[in-house]
Amino acid sequence: MIYKIIAKQAIEDLFKGLQENYDEVAGPRACGPAFVFDKLQHACELRLDYESTILPPTKYFLAPTERLMRFNRVTGESYDSEPVQTSRAIIGMHPCDINAVLLLDEIFLGDFIDPHYAAARKSTFIIGTSCMPTVGHICNAFGTDEIHRGFDLFLTDLDDRYLLSCRSVPALELVDKYLAASDPTAKDIDDFQERTKRFKDAFTFTPNMDQLPLLYGAKYNDEQLWKDVGDDCLCCGACAAVCPVCYCFDVCDKLDASGQTGLRYRSWDSCLKSEFAEVAHNHNFRPTRASRVRYRFYHKFVGNFSRQGKMLCVGCGRCMRACKVNITPARIIGALQQSQIDKEDATGDGIEKADDAE
Amino acid sequence: MSALTAKAYRELGANPYRPWPARITSITELTPKETLFELRLIDKNVRDAFEFTAGQFVELSIFGVGEAPISISSAPSKQGFIELCIRKTGSVTNAIHRMRCGDVVGLRGPFGRGFPFEKMMGHDVVLVAGGLGIAPLKSLINHIHDERHAFGKVTILLGARNPSEILFRQEFDMWRHRQDFDLIMTVDQPDSVWDGEVGLVTRLFTDLEIDPGNTYGAICGPPVMYPFVVEEMRKKDLNVDRIYVSIERRMKCGIGMCGHCAVGHQYTCIEGPVFSYWEALNLEEAL
Amino acid sequence: MSDFEHPASSLASDRPKVIVLSLASDFGCQVQLSNFPYLLESLSTIDLAYWQLVISADMPTDYDLAIIEGAVTTTKHLKLLKEVRKTAHTVIALGTCAAMGGIPALAGHGPSPEERLEDCARTVYGDYAARIAQNRIVPRPLTDVISVDYSIVGCPIDPEEFSSVLQYALLGVKERPEREPLCAQCKIIEAPCFYTVQKLAADDACQEENNKLSGLYRGSTDIPCLGLVTRTGCGALCISRGRPCTGCRGIAQDANLESARNFIREQGRSVEEFDRALAIYCSHSMNSAVLNDHSQVSG
Repeated sequence: MIYKIIAKQAIEDLFKGLQENYDEVAGPRACGPAFVFDKLQHACELRLDYESTILPPTKYFLAPTERLMRFNRVTGESYDSEPVQTSRAIIGMHPCDINAVLLLDEIFLGDFIDPHYAAARKSTFIIGTSCMPTVGHICNAFGTDEIHRGFDLFLTDLDDRYLLSCRSVPALELVDKYLAASDPTAKDIDDFQERTKRFKDAFTFTPNMDQLPLLYGAKYNDEQLWKDVGDDCLCCGACAAVCPVCYCFDVCDKLDASGQTGLRYRSWDSCLKSEFAEVAHNHNFRPTRASRVRYRFYHKFVGNFSRQGKMLCVGCGRCMRACKVNITPARIIGALQQSQIDKEDATGDGIEKADDAE
Repeated sequence: MSALTAKAYRELGANPYRPWPARITSITELTPKETLFELRLIDKNVRDAFEFTAGQFVELSIFGVGEAPISISSAPSKQGFIELCIRKTGSVTNAIHRMRCGDVVGLRGPFGRGFPFEKMMGHDVVLVAGGLGIAPLKSLINHIHDERHAFGKVTILLGARNPSEILFRQEFDMWRHRQDFDLIMTVDQPDSVWDGEVGLVTRLFTDLEIDPGNTYGAICGPPVMYPFVVEEMRKKDLNVDRIYVSIERRMKCGIGMCGHCAVGHQYTCIEGPVFSYWEALNLEEAL
Repeated sequence: MSDFEHPASSLASDRPKVIVLSLASDFGCQVQLSNFPYLLESLSTIDLAYWQLVISADMPTDYDLAIIEGAVTTTKHLKLLKEVRKTAHTVIALGTCAAMGGIPALAGHGPSPEERLEDCARTVYGDYAARIAQNRIVPRPLTDVISVDYSIVGCPIDPEEFSSVLQYALLGVKERPEREPLCAQCKIIEAPCFYTVQKLAADDACQEENNKLSGLYRGSTDIPCLGLVTRTGCGALCISRGRPCTGCRGIAQDANLESARNFIREQGRSVEEFDRALAIYCSHSMNSAVLNDHSQVSG
């Protein structure tokens, strides 16, 4: 990694460089009371001070709907099945979202390669940016508050200047060509360390992750615990839609008006839908809301942890904002820990624990 | 085995979402609800590269209707053709029932992990199927048939609700008289001419002799059947890690990405659909 | 509809004879069909024998596929529908009125639908109520009268969806209606949530943000958005145009009404107001026991 220092207003030069080298520059911009990642025309639209966005930038790698192929129903031929990809630079991804991309890599670039995801990954230049935790950010619990790979360039905000971390050759070329950059001084390093400390101190709440996968397994059949959450759940799937690491999708065929040709596409799906785990004869492996919520968080905290060694949550807080009835990772973790405490209290052999979960 | 398929897909540089066209070469109605379709991949290279193990599945594609995961019923030793035993249940399975010989469908796969054929070789096997469970088990039975010399005692127990619902009945009727297979059929509701056993498949275990150290079990059928059959096998001291079951989930992509077939912490399309009973016991929601 | 044997296993001919009828409605869904840019392509797949809105000829007595718009409001409709069901191989309910009673069904909304209907008639027609529309019955969807093979909801319908369902019907493929509420779709189009916006509007400190929004949600922030419980599939069309969801696609099968009402209460809003808004399109299903069943199945 090579480190450089640039002035704040140099972002405009960086933006210009990106526009000259990529078909599209995407970044966070304001949208009403919220922020969204969108195609940007001018550097002035870019809002690097954003807290969070409605959808995560992972939408650029796994789109809400995506053509898998076109087909001719009569001849049985398929065509246009290869991905079309424009080159894109995404500026302003937070560490949690870059971590999310790394998690998705393990799913979509594993044994099987998803050609659409792979093409998008290959043609995207990622610029990360530092952030400050606010309400609902629990990335520190998942270790996703830091990022050391998965980006080309990373901007750390040092109030009046940025510390650049260059991780790829195209990034270095970009810096050389478009930016008036200097090497970091001892003061820059001090400020960077001070900022990191400020960042770590800004977390007001950290869920108690103690033994979470084991605890989840033990509480898997705690009917009351899951019924309480299931009773609240609106089954809308908004949490899954905004989650940067919810990758499940559905595949559908749509015929053209002529009835001869059509489109096979995939679209984001959610395990909270009643249809999700249904098989033939309308048999449903998760018929109740409680079972579906239980499964969703099981997959996040235990399923992927057992299968790939990592939890499928980056603590970005988007689902907390999207959910109308407060079904959040923090609540689930808190409920699991609390039910364990209740059990220990009831049996009288509870061990005093420093516990900051609710 | 799915890692093998994945490797094949990588080497072919093939898009795993794109079905290969296959022609329907033969249609045999087994019951009013189930039909055996024989398919032939049209592209010769693909046909030659298509290798599978008993218990694996393909994604059957009818353009305009969608895809459905279907177990392969023919034996891996049968070259050039793939047989699928399909019950009319949903849109895709109904649609293929309306097709004729010569029509083209799409196939992706083979996907998933099948029965551990090589591990089973050299041992006795007890194969138990209920209802449509015979569809994936048929592949294993046929494969064992083709490699009969490599196995010890082969016992096949088939259960169905009534005689008219027994799949491949004519074929198995003949097997009943073979020396090299112990095949027993049982139905819940016999008709007037039924000369097989009556009752649940678990009843057939009473007189069965199993050498637990030298036997593998394989069970396919409705999920409710598994615990009862496994219990019978365990009574004969067969270990749960020597018993294999095939489980049903909604495999959509077949390649471990779409999430629909998750069972516990695993994906049925990658780590399954065949699991050892021991593995299945350790998966939430599996049984 | 049974999952095992679909009635429309195959239509009689390659180009089935199709009729388009209208019962009690404003013909909006038929107009919407004519707005479909690929209408001619769609028509090439069928033999359009009768279309009430555009063809002046008499309705034929023989046809394969009947597309019916509007709610059932008279005994004449009952007779016609029985006739159609006997003749047609496949029946498609077109639009919210036909599929779920829609706005016409409001005239029967309440604990005693017959009384309510007479009240409405008196309010509208006064002294003439006895003489006008003598054959009236409590308005209801087609599904209450005959078996329907496909339903296309929406007020008005989305012609694209019509085209898909028509193709499904021609192929004899079962449709897969969406079961979940709208909210996820709003996230996908990245529309700020009405309830969030409303909270901000109530907060003086956010006056500046609120002003920015005035162009986005043109003063409609005081209407409760029904997307919490209503069926998705429209692509959050109204929300993308700055209007809250009015529930024209009906109550979603997966909806959790009880929890949604709790949420409304917590927002300091009136649950009665929410239910009233919901009844505009969904009164028929709210009257019937269907809703209770849903919450049990999904609960």
